[in-house]
Amino acid sequence: MSAAIAAADLAFSYGEVRAVDGVSFSVKPGEILGFLGPNGAGKSTTIKMLTGQLRPDAGTVEVLGRPMATAREEIQGRIGVCFEEKNLYAAMTGLENLRFFARLFGLDGVDAEGLLARVGLADRAGDRVADYSKGMRQRLMMARTLVNTPDVLFLDEPTDGLDPVSARAIRDLIRAEARRGAAVLLTTHDMHEADGLSDRVAFINQGRILALDTPENLKLEHGTRTVRLRYRDDGGTREEVIALDEPGAEARVSEAVSREGLVTIHTEEATLEDIFVVFAGRGLDA
Amino acid sequence: MNPKVIAALVGKDLAMFRRDRFFVFVSVLGLVAYVLVFWLLPSDVDESVSLGVSLEGAASGGFPASNGVEIITFPGRDALAEAVTDGGQVGAGIAFPRGFLDSVAAGEPTTVEVLVSAQAPAEFEGLLAGMVDQVAIAAAGGTPPVDPATDVIVLGTDRVGDQISFQEQMRPLLAFLILIVETFALATLVATELQERTVTAVLVTPATVTDFLAAKAIIGAGLAFAEVVLLMAAIGGFAGSPAIVVVVLALGAVLVTGFGMLAGTMGKDFLSVLFWSLALMMPLTIPAFGVLFPGSAAPWVKALPTYPLVDVIVRVTTEGAGWVDAAPSLLLLAGWGAVCFAAGAWVLRRRVELL
Repeated sequence: MSAAIAAADLAFSYGEVRAVDGVSFSVKPGEILGFLGPNGAGKSTTIKMLTGQLRPDAGTVEVLGRPMATAREEIQGRIGVCFEEKNLYAAMTGLENLRFFARLFGLDGVDAEGLLARVGLADRAGDRVADYSKGMRQRLMMARTLVNTPDVLFLDEPTDGLDPVSARAIRDLIRAEARRGAAVLLTTHDMHEADGLSDRVAFINQGRILALDTPENLKLEHGTRTVRLRYRDDGGTREEVIALDEPGAEARVSEAVSREGLVTIHTEEATLEDIFVVFAGRGLDA
Repeated sequence: MNPKVIAALVGKDLAMFRRDRFFVFVSVLGLVAYVLVFWLLPSDVDESVSLGVSLEGAASGGFPASNGVEIITFPGRDALAEAVTDGGQVGAGIAFPRGFLDSVAAGEPTTVEVLVSAQAPAEFEGLLAGMVDQVAIAAAGGTPPVDPATDVIVLGTDRVGDQISFQEQMRPLLAFLILIVETFALATLVATELQERTVTAVLVTPATVTDFLAAKAIIGAGLAFAEVVLLMAAIGGFAGSPAIVVVVLALGAVLVTGFGMLAGTMGKDFLSVLFWSLALMMPLTIPAFGVLFPGSAAPWVKALPTYPLVDVIVRVTTEGAGWVDAAPSLLLLAGWGAVCFAAGAWVLRRRVELL
């Protein structure tokens, strides 16, 4: 299956600052690729190049098999972009926003009401966006992203700052789009979101991709699995952590489990943030 | 350029404009208020002129007012000339030289200066020359052996027989004030689009920066043109050569659209957009104000981009100028319009591309 997004050796500088430095990756149709990195890592700049907003200093971008350098308008007719900032027309209603963007795509018969219903805004369709809450605006942003039934979705921090219910609704929508066959590039600095949503994850820091694999493989290959045990001890509790990858771990766990006074036992695996620290030497919020 | 995309963008901007109560209010109020102001202004020219007289070396007085002509005496020629000059105390005057009465009585040649304001009716020159003859007859006790010569001096720009009423003088200024309001409206639309980054969302669809600029140009020039045409229609601005007036207003709308794009690009909020709009546009109103004050425009005023706009409106609506007369100013205005629009579009394009 050919890649829906193919980036090769992308580079871009803001003046003297190298924002993206030799980034290469691809995303298949139906796949969700999580772009994980701290603020200023180069995620948004990469998305700008992939969506035709910025021309790379070096490297190439192909979307849906077409080069961005020569087929920008054609590509932009088949992609959907959800920005981090809520750049909606606040003086217009939710319905008017969707209909306007549908017209930009040359689409007359778009079921805008249906899209609003999908994101839970059917009953607020006629209200001005200025009166929407932050969560409602984000849901409208997602509806706008889907107005042209895109083959490729670029989602920049789509759940940033949302309440759990709104965030979950957006994640469900992203999964549904991937099941439909859309390729999804998701940038986030939320490791749980990346872990839960992404088929593969790319760690990006200082404009470079440090690692790219499934969350499971990254954690297995670069993380430490442990067993945490708690015992009752002289009226208090005592804790013991056994690293499963160390020699003799199996025997130590057997012995610990049979020991008297065991209260709880938990297996623990590394988080994506732990793995990110291994690669980048810094946390995601640093 | 994609016409469907541009149409969608223009439709959206029109909707945004209609929803902005401030601009709807200001546009409607401006139109109504300016039309009212125009029709409340005096439309006729005051043909009665105060007459000044100086007779050096003779006692003042002895010149009775008649036929609505008020006669004011002055101690000397210079004082009279100062009073006659544009905006002065009298519209015209006769400066009799020292020893005039003796010269006339003795049959010696003498010359009388007739000083006429540029704003005085043409008939005044003949009237005053006749008065000089009457004075000479009275001084000589009959027809003098030698008629005194008269030397007519027009003070200020000569508009004898071609006066412009205050109402007509206000016409270009009112037209320009309407254009300023619509420039501000465009600047606000542009600034909002940039500050809220909605333009970024537009530009990841098949819409291009060129489509965006074209839509802003259409909405800016269209609003300005529609509003100023309505105003001119309401204040009799199409009485002379309507086709020339339509062309000059269209070129003017394009000109101010460039400034609207500049102000919108530089402004960040309502107040800064207002500041930049006024900072850019107020100097451009100077030619329109200049029409209110008779006299030749200073060279630097003629160098302003709006001078040909005002010049054509004045000449077509008050002097009956045709295509041939208006052509140089129209060409100059077209050039200024192209330059200002290109500058505004270039600055806005740069800003959009760097977002």
